Amino acid sequence: MSDNFELALQLLGIGMATVFTILFLVILIGDGIIKFVNRFLPEAQKPVKQARATSSAVISSSKMAAIVSAVQIVTNGKGRITSIEKQ
Amino acid sequence: MDILRKLYDMTAFSNLIDNPAPLLMLAVGAVLLYLGIKKQYEPLLLIPIGFGVILANLPGAGMGIVPGDLIELGDHKYMNLFEIAHEYGIMNYLYYSLIKTGLLPPIIFMGVGALTDFGPMLRNLKLSLFGAAAQLGIFTILLIAIAVGFTPNEAGSLAIIGGADGPTAIYTTIILAPHLLGPIAIAAYSYMALVPVIIPFVVKLTCSKKELMINMKEQDKLYPSKHEIKNLKAVKIAFPIVLGIVIAFFVPSSVPLLGMLLFGNLVKEVGANTFRLADAASGPIMNAATIFLGLTVGATMTSEVFLDFKTLGIIVGGFFAFAISVFGGIFFVKAYNVFSKKKINPLIGATGLSAVPMASRVANEIALKYDTKNHVLQYCMASNISGVIGSAVAAGVLISFLG
Repeated sequence: MSDNFELALQLLGIGMATVFTILFLVILIGDGIIKFVNRFLPEAQKPVKQARATSSAVISSSKMAAIVSAVQIVTNGKGRITSIEKQ
Repeated sequence: MDILRKLYDMTAFSNLIDNPAPLLMLAVGAVLLYLGIKKQYEPLLLIPIGFGVILANLPGAGMGIVPGDLIELGDHKYMNLFEIAHEYGIMNYLYYSLIKTGLLPPIIFMGVGALTDFGPMLRNLKLSLFGAAAQLGIFTILLIAIAVGFTPNEAGSLAIIGGADGPTAIYTTIILAPHLLGPIAIAAYSYMALVPVIIPFVVKLTCSKKELMINMKEQDKLYPSKHEIKNLKAVKIAFPIVLGIVIAFFVPSSVPLLGMLLFGNLVKEVGANTFRLADAASGPIMNAATIFLGLTVGATMTSEVFLDFKTLGIIVGGFFAFAISVFGGIFFVKAYNVFSKKKINPLIGATGLSAVPMASRVANEIALKYDTKNHVLQYCMASNISGVIGSAVAAGVLISFLG
């Protein structure tokens, strides 16, 4: 029993340390990929067409990202946003 | 008279009179069906599991899963699948070919990957750490379960319920303690269905109104991110490839789950060229896998296996594993807030579980109760998605040490 308990204590320490290490690596990897892509593969900025300025033009990018995320979650990634209108 | 006797023996009544325990299991199956159909608790899983329980406990039907030693021939040799099907029926054929081999959980993870969007996590990378803190329940319950008499392997299988991830719990249990597969799968999916009850319960016990009103968007304005993402699609494609390779070096035993998750995600992110693959992974393949997983896991729950003291321990322990995981995430946020200028809403810690996206939706609803403008969904999704990775890594650690 005491050997098993010792094993469980070890696993508590090792397990939590491993999970934190891996998710810390996730942050580093994600950060590294973002920096690399921003530097070498930035998406070409599309010119904004003033004449066709719709309501989406007045929605900030963070709000747009939140709406896109919410739609993707609710529709399991199958939904697409075709237009956003303020009421 | 002899003919009447034979007729009586032919029916299931003779079996039931000899051993009435299956009647109780039929009631358990009916309860699971009720929860799935009427209460809509994880219906995609609880309905097949509940029906599997009923099939396995119909006397004389031969649909229950037999213990592994019955198919062992000695010297680490086993019956082949034809012999298993001939001797013990189709349910055992399905179980030993699809479940015992560990095939279905990674297949389901591939579908989960095809449905997962890493976008919210990539936009809020630092929040990923809270998905690690929310694995605390796993390792704490491991300790407690061993203290109350579970073997280390059984305790590991019970503890993984705290990761709030059904396929991960099943995969770990198949390897560590296959005899507990039925109760653990049911506890895992039942508590996942009870996320809307468990998270508010723990949050109410541990968080103040002031903490729950922390507005993440205002915090973002006060302390903006250092850099924006200039090509999200490219980042989303590179992320699963690089992450999969790096994690494989650190925790190779988590690769069957995480590798498939990341592959599913990759084919989704590539877009139109692999749309059919992503669609198949998240649709027909995952649906078929879910049917067979549910039925066969349910069929492991024969009366001999389920009506046991350990089942009660799993039900109680599973709840605490879940609750401690939620608490772990909240506690880590509170500790972080002590040292950081940028404050984090503790709900983001509470969603470090794998139950995606239900945990995030529940947390968002709680935040909106305190402040109708405080939408935390996308922030909670960051820790929620990292929780999927965290629980798979935790499972990998348990399998490496105990398997």
